[in-house]
Amino acid sequence: MPQSLSLSAAAGPKRPSEWLRALFRRNEIALLLSLVALIVFFSLASDSFLTTRNITNVLGQASLAMVAGIGVGVLVISGEIDVSIGSLAGAVGIPLVVIMNMTGSLELGIAGALLLALCVGVVNGFLAAYIGINSLIVTLGSMFVIRGAVYLYTGQKAIPDDLMLESFYQIGNGRLFGAISYPALVAIVLLSAFIYLMRHRPFGRKLYAVGGNPEVARLAGYDVKRVKFIAFVICSLLAGISGILLSSRLGSAVHVAGLGFEFQVVAAVVLGGVSLAGGIGSLFGVALGVLILSFLANGLGMLNIATEWQLVTTGLIIIAAVAFDELKRRAK
Amino acid sequence: MSEITQPAKSGPVAGRLANNSQIVLLALLVVLCIGISLSAAQFYSVENVIAILRQCSLVLIVGAGMTMLLIAGEVDLSVGASLAFSGCVAMDVTNKTGSVFLGALAGILFGGLVGLFNGLVVTRLKVNSLIATIATMMILQGGVFLYTREAVQNKHQQPAFTDISTGYLGPIPLPVIIAAAVFACAYVALRYTTLGRYIYAVGANAKAARLSGRRPEQLKLLVFVVTGLLAGLTGLILASLMNTGQPTAGRGFELTVIAAVILGGTSLLGGRGTLLGTLLGVLILKVIDNGIIILRWDQNLQMIVPGVVIVLATYLDLVRRRADAR
Repeated sequence: MPQSLSLSAAAGPKRPSEWLRALFRRNEIALLLSLVALIVFFSLASDSFLTTRNITNVLGQASLAMVAGIGVGVLVISGEIDVSIGSLAGAVGIPLVVIMNMTGSLELGIAGALLLALCVGVVNGFLAAYIGINSLIVTLGSMFVIRGAVYLYTGQKAIPDDLMLESFYQIGNGRLFGAISYPALVAIVLLSAFIYLMRHRPFGRKLYAVGGNPEVARLAGYDVKRVKFIAFVICSLLAGISGILLSSRLGSAVHVAGLGFEFQVVAAVVLGGVSLAGGIGSLFGVALGVLILSFLANGLGMLNIATEWQLVTTGLIIIAAVAFDELKRRAK
Repeated sequence: MSEITQPAKSGPVAGRLANNSQIVLLALLVVLCIGISLSAAQFYSVENVIAILRQCSLVLIVGAGMTMLLIAGEVDLSVGASLAFSGCVAMDVTNKTGSVFLGALAGILFGGLVGLFNGLVVTRLKVNSLIATIATMMILQGGVFLYTREAVQNKHQQPAFTDISTGYLGPIPLPVIIAAAVFACAYVALRYTTLGRYIYAVGANAKAARLSGRRPEQLKLLVFVVTGLLAGLTGLILASLMNTGQPTAGRGFELTVIAAVILGGTSLLGGRGTLLGTLLGVLILKVIDNGIIILRWDQNLQMIVPGVVIVLATYLDLVRRRADAR
């Protein structure tokens, strides 16, 4: 990491061609090849893997982690981390379902859910970016507080969706033209928007600069605190959207929803080549990381391999991927 | 630190008091104890104090290792999963061999192996310890179910096994004695040996430590193994306490431990921290836990209060350090 830090510091603002080269020097190609190899392997090993039904199923599941992963990716690139997203993704289901039950309006429910996510993002961002408390601690704290508040409010029971609104069911389970599920659509739209933001908008450059070397970014005239604050808000909002989709798939607000989700997402983000030190990585890599882990879990399930092995292989793959990445970096 | 400083003005005195974050923690602990005992007199009953101490001992044992690890600039999130697995191993081996000694040894060594694995991945493969130990946590959580489908029941019925957690030495429960011994060893090692000094040096500045002839990798590996062994020991005690090897035990335990260590003033960035702080951190968190129970508050507050306390404590520490810097 120090090498890359000094690199970006010495190179100053990068030209687009350098951006592209940096992108391909990184492990996106290797990730893409692994994903293809994984898909080929599982389609040869299992007949039911490469079916439209299964692929849409995997993509539907992957999109929840993808939406949250985009937010975590943005935040980690800015040099911070958020481990409260699992609690938040579970918590947004409560205002969503409660408001929906009271008013009968899905829109108001979603507004309530996003408002909660916004508040959490603002608090996390304020404490971490402006007050300067280590973001791991802040979000570890909010992880406890949010989950505790959910338990307190629900009495550790799920809140059912009394009205059984069709629109509520549709957002998590429905399909556009019968082909692309809505969660996948949301993920694709958000991914495209954020890849554009990160690569072609000044704000994306600011995020990389702030994460790569905050001191240099500050001297270059960027408002480091504000950039990080916005990254926190983005991360929480996306976790909130992910939670809304999750809640629709579960059909209720489940108090334990999203437990351990933060670890899955952080693992996928790191697998995708985003450095925890900040300033390095791409959202395309994050998307590939999420897809690899999702296809791996699904494929192993198809081969009737115990779900426990999925955890074990996921863990091993994460270690191998990060170690490989580090070796490659040292070889340069 | 400075006997030369004139405590004439009130500023420096207050500054020096606030300077020592342990005094703040101690004051917090005293206030908590007084506050709780005013509303619930049974707080000071012998049973309750012993219950609190027993609760503390588990967190403190792992916390001692985690403190050294954080000082060395690394972290281990796999301790919770590791102690669940170790407990299953300990119970299983005792069942099979009929020997509590072998079972206990197997459990502790299993934890040590996990620590060795973590340490090798972090020091040799250069994987960030946060990610490496999240991965280990996943491997262990999956692995424990491959090892045993359900909880490992106590089939040997050896009294020595249950004594590990419920036995007493004089008036003091055994886990508390074990925790005190672990704490004392760690305290001496960290405070009075060159090894301890290297741990601080490596955490504060690994490069400088290497240039001055230290081997940060070996030292970090050692601390990972120690933390692993302590997690194994805790797993053994927990299995003895529950009288089963429970594969799902210890979920979230790593977060409680890290919370206590950070509350005690140990920096996540490495190079700063004390075991005394960790002891106070553990006591505060467990007194809060206990207070919530005996005041008959909603037990779900047991998650909220520590969350707020960690953030608040870190904030106070930050204020203190900024005042120092000025």
